[in-house]
Amino acid sequence: MFFLHSMERRVLLHPSYFGRNMHDLVTAKLVWDVEGHLAGDYYVIAVMDAFDVSEGRILPGSGQAEFTVGYRAVVWRPFKGEVVDAVAYSINPHGFFAQAGPLRLFISGHLMPDEIKYDANATPPQFTNHADMVIEPGTHLRVKIIGLRTEVGEMWAIGSINGDFLGCLQG
Amino acid sequence: MASNDPHFGDSESDDDNFNPAPADISDDENEPRSAQKRSSSPANARSDDEDDGARPSNGASAKSRQAADDEEGDEDEEDVGEDDEINDVDEDEEEDEEDDEDEVQGHRRKRHRDRRNAFFDIEAEVDDEDEGEDDEKDGEEIEDFIEQDDHPDDIGEGARLNDDRGHRELDRRREMEASLDAEKQAEILRERYGKRAPARGYRDMAVVPKRLLLPSVEDPSIWAVRCKEGKEREVIFSIMRRVEERAGTKNEVPIISAFERGGPNSVMKGYIYVEAQRQNDIMLALDGVLNVYPRTKMILVEIKDMPDLLRVTKTPNLEPGAWVRIRKPMKYAGDLAQVLDVTENGLEVRVRYIPRLDYGVRDEALSAGDLKRKRPGAPGPRPPQRLFSEVEARKRHPRHLQGNPQTNSWTFMGEEFENGFLVKDIKIQQLEVKDVNPTLEEVTKFARGAEDGTENLDLKALAASLKDSNTSAAYASGDIIEVYEGEQRGVVGKATNVQNDIVTLQVLEGDLAGQTIEVPVKGLRKRFRPGDHVKVIGGSRYRDEVGMVLKIVDDRVTLLTDQSSTEITVFSKDLREAADIGGQGSLGQYSLLDLVQLDPTTVGCIVKVDRESMVVLDQNGDTRQVVPSQITNKLPKRKMAVAADRNGAEIRLDDVVREHGGQQRQGKIIHIHRSFVFLHSHASTENAGVFVTRAANVTTIAAKGGRINNQNAGPDLSVMNPAMKRNPTGTGNNMQPPKTMGRDPALGHTVTIRRGGYKGLLGIVKDTTDTCARVELHAKYKVVTVPKADLVFKDKTTGRTIDIYSRGGRGGFSGSGGRGGAPGGWSGGSRTPMVASGGERTPAWGASKSTARTPAWSRGSENSGSRTPAWGDGSRTVNPYDGSRTSYGGATAYGGGARTPAWSSSAKTPAHDGFGVGSKTPAYGGSDAWGSKTPAYGVSAPTPGASGADSWGYTPGPSGGSYDAPTPGIGAPTPGALNAPTPGAYSAPTPAAISAPTPGAWQGGWGGDAQTPAVGAPTPAAGGYYSAPTPGAYGAPETPAATGPRYADDD
Repeated sequence: MFFLHSMERRVLLHPSYFGRNMHDLVTAKLVWDVEGHLAGDYYVIAVMDAFDVSEGRILPGSGQAEFTVGYRAVVWRPFKGEVVDAVAYSINPHGFFAQAGPLRLFISGHLMPDEIKYDANATPPQFTNHADMVIEPGTHLRVKIIGLRTEVGEMWAIGSINGDFLGCLQG
Repeated sequence: MASNDPHFGDSESDDDNFNPAPADISDDENEPRSAQKRSSSPANARSDDEDDGARPSNGASAKSRQAADDEEGDEDEEDVGEDDEINDVDEDEEEDEEDDEDEVQGHRRKRHRDRRNAFFDIEAEVDDEDEGEDDEKDGEEIEDFIEQDDHPDDIGEGARLNDDRGHRELDRRREMEASLDAEKQAEILRERYGKRAPARGYRDMAVVPKRLLLPSVEDPSIWAVRCKEGKEREVIFSIMRRVEERAGTKNEVPIISAFERGGPNSVMKGYIYVEAQRQNDIMLALDGVLNVYPRTKMILVEIKDMPDLLRVTKTPNLEPGAWVRIRKPMKYAGDLAQVLDVTENGLEVRVRYIPRLDYGVRDEALSAGDLKRKRPGAPGPRPPQRLFSEVEARKRHPRHLQGNPQTNSWTFMGEEFENGFLVKDIKIQQLEVKDVNPTLEEVTKFARGAEDGTENLDLKALAASLKDSNTSAAYASGDIIEVYEGEQRGVVGKATNVQNDIVTLQVLEGDLAGQTIEVPVKGLRKRFRPGDHVKVIGGSRYRDEVGMVLKIVDDRVTLLTDQSSTEITVFSKDLREAADIGGQGSLGQYSLLDLVQLDPTTVGCIVKVDRESMVVLDQNGDTRQVVPSQITNKLPKRKMAVAADRNGAEIRLDDVVREHGGQQRQGKIIHIHRSFVFLHSHASTENAGVFVTRAANVTTIAAKGGRINNQNAGPDLSVMNPAMKRNPTGTGNNMQPPKTMGRDPALGHTVTIRRGGYKGLLGIVKDTTDTCARVELHAKYKVVTVPKADLVFKDKTTGRTIDIYSRGGRGGFSGSGGRGGAPGGWSGGSRTPMVASGGERTPAWGASKSTARTPAWSRGSENSGSRTPAWGDGSRTVNPYDGSRTSYGGATAYGGGARTPAWSSSAKTPAHDGFGVGSKTPAYGGSDAWGSKTPAYGVSAPTPGASGADSWGYTPGPSGGSYDAPTPGIGAPTPGALNAPTPGAYSAPTPAAISAPTPGAWQGGWGGDAQTPAVGAPTPAAGGYYSAPTPGAYGAPETPAATGPRYADDD
């Protein structure tokens, strides 16, 4: 689910950048630092605006200036039970991997409708029910997140397409 | 009096111990009674007769019935016996007395029976209390009597007689009781009534203290009688039959009970246990029974052991479908087998298991003769488990193969095969039925046996066998548990407490929510939900795997492991909710994805970690299984490792790259080792997603931190602003050593020669070259050429040793003066770099040592005399004696000698400090200007040990050169270091000056080294030194051209 989240971050600036456009640089650095990164259990998608750049404080020792920046960002936090759209990218006999934006999902063979079977003979290998559903790399899917797991700097989930309105997206 | 007899003389309770007095009385009971009964003898006699006939039979039948009961109902009795606790009885007396008593017992009992009829009312009482194990039977007996007694014929007289006798009896008893003392009375009473409690207790076990139920000395004893092993039960059955046959006949079986505790694993097998009053009774009872050997020595079971005899050990119930492990034959030891059927006697089990057949392959290898000798249990490689193959069998031994292809049952070499499984009757002894713990993998092999390949796994049986074994361990408080069996089925709760096999649950859902219930482990399973993050804990092969639950069917849980992204199925009992982080992946110091050295040329990345071994993907892309001991060492992750991809772009750890060509796999770099990169990808599960390729074979997709795409994102603001960088090409901090030009300060100086044929002579430097000086000797008019290093400069007027180079011979080197001004600081400052320079130095140093030095050295040590003493000393002292300056006697000379001045000059310089080591010598201290130095000394002295050595080794070099550049002696060795560490400080005053001399010094020394490997190195320098006055000589080494390159080389 997407949220608009207000956060705060400390930004360090090298002394050689001290000057008139310092605040711009701080903002730029903030954006560079946080956008597209996983922060605990959510992804920071985009920084909306950086407000409240504090006064810089020189750190003893390194000479870098530390700014505390309050900012607002669009974040995406996947939840258990959330239904997301994803793109399959890797198929193996046990299931397939799909990518929902930055989130990697694994959809196990157990979590598909029974009629969808692995077809190793197709090229590339695919999951199919020999009717309307063909899952191969690149297929767009609607997936329900069953479980989530966060590691440092990485997050991934297992998903299910076993349910109404889940599975391949037509067209 | 006689009335007492029934109470006290009763046979079945061995009263005698407690109250011998009544026994005495009973002994002579006949006389008084007979006397007393003379009048009423007819009736009495008749009843006595009757009694003789009927009574014993009754009693015996009761007993035999009882015995039969006991035999049949082992279990019932065991329950009782089991509960018993040892009661302390006087066991010591017991045995002796028992024996004695046994002899008298027979007739005593008889007598007692005789009078039963006569004293009807009393009789009942007595019977009750003494024989009364079974109230019912007593009742019957009594009824019998009544029937007999109430014969219509003698109703009147009988009643009268009874009445009469009863009264008298009562009187006598009272009289008797009165005559006894209180203690005995108490004993009697206790005897009489005390035993009732246990007798009744059988009905009402809960309230009777268990210890009262324990056998005591009064109870019959139990003997263990040998019998044929395995036939225990049969023997018991035949005894039972015998008891029934002989019940009511004359030769009734005189035992009370018989039982066996045989069984495959029992320690009590080979024995039956017979309860009887006397050993002889057993002889009689067992005489002629097959398979039992009463003639052999019987073992009397001690009273305290009796309860243990009947302790129930729960024998696992083997049912078809259950799993067992084979103990014998050895070939199959440990293999899992499934019970098909249990034979009636419970001794043999029909099991099926996967055969280990080699179809005679091994036999063929042996000669025919050997075949016969082959022992079945012979050790040897056992063939792997494989289902029976008809084809193979037919190929090898067609003659030994019979069977029916339709049912797929075969007989091969005398063994039966069904559906590929070996089916055999095996004795329970040869099976392990407890703690079987079949793993899912093993069991699956059995399931696979089905023709259609469908999974017909009887998981119920499997779960049951698993449940049997230490189940309680599987639950821990905090687990979410579901009850799936019994009344509370469906209840879900959180375990709060686990005790043995009772789990206390706090119910979470449903009507009972909030309540706490206790449930036996049997009907429980852990509950998980898809998506839960769990860890395998149990005895499964997958132990310690961590993963996410995908699917749950009953108590089987399928999970996707984190490490390898594979699916595994385990029982829910083997799972636990996992902490968010964790997981398998380390074996000792090695953990998953570590880079390890396998042999000098091979490295590998750990892709799988098992409990004892791991799988390693080596640089060639091969996987191999290794144990930790096979690993040479673990290669630490080199964070800064850099490689170039096929486009020449730099790639580092954590960059995402794609294989060029091949499978175009994409992955994150986890290791860079030489030209190989180990990549990790989540897209594949093979080798935990790790693959290896050459660095030149990948293209960068995304570099960590966006090195590649940096341009559009703007500058990296956490490092130096590139725009501010003055010198972008930048390494140029190392300024070129300044040229040293002009007149050699050594020219015109008064010197002494400290080595060689002119050693000790005084002269004036007339001319110098790089290394040598021409000295005009004072002693005789002669100009000799001496290496600069062999010269000691003297002050013309005072004659002190001086360092001409510090005297400002060098233009810029006035700086040295400044430095000299702050000798302490300087030496301190110089010191450090010096020491540091040790490191830099080392290689060059080593080189020079091995070449120049060593010989110099040896020479020095051999014939220091031949050398200039100063030098010899210097060189010698320094290296070997660094620490022990004792030998510096030489140094003394040195101090006193030509050296001193030079020293003092260099004293201001680190070179001096180097010397400082040596300078501890008093002579030194004594030497001029040193006094002031001393503190510096102090400073330098301690440390120098090392640095001293270096600087010393050095000194020659430096001293040669460094004499020319006063300070630098030290600076020389470490030009870079000097400049580098404190560039500001240094460069501030006279950068040029400082760096200038240094290299020069270097040059001298090193260049010398290079040219003349041996002492040459120092010497020439020294020569230079001495001839320092001669500018030419000086200038030479400082030739920039020469300096520059050499310097570089040296570094």
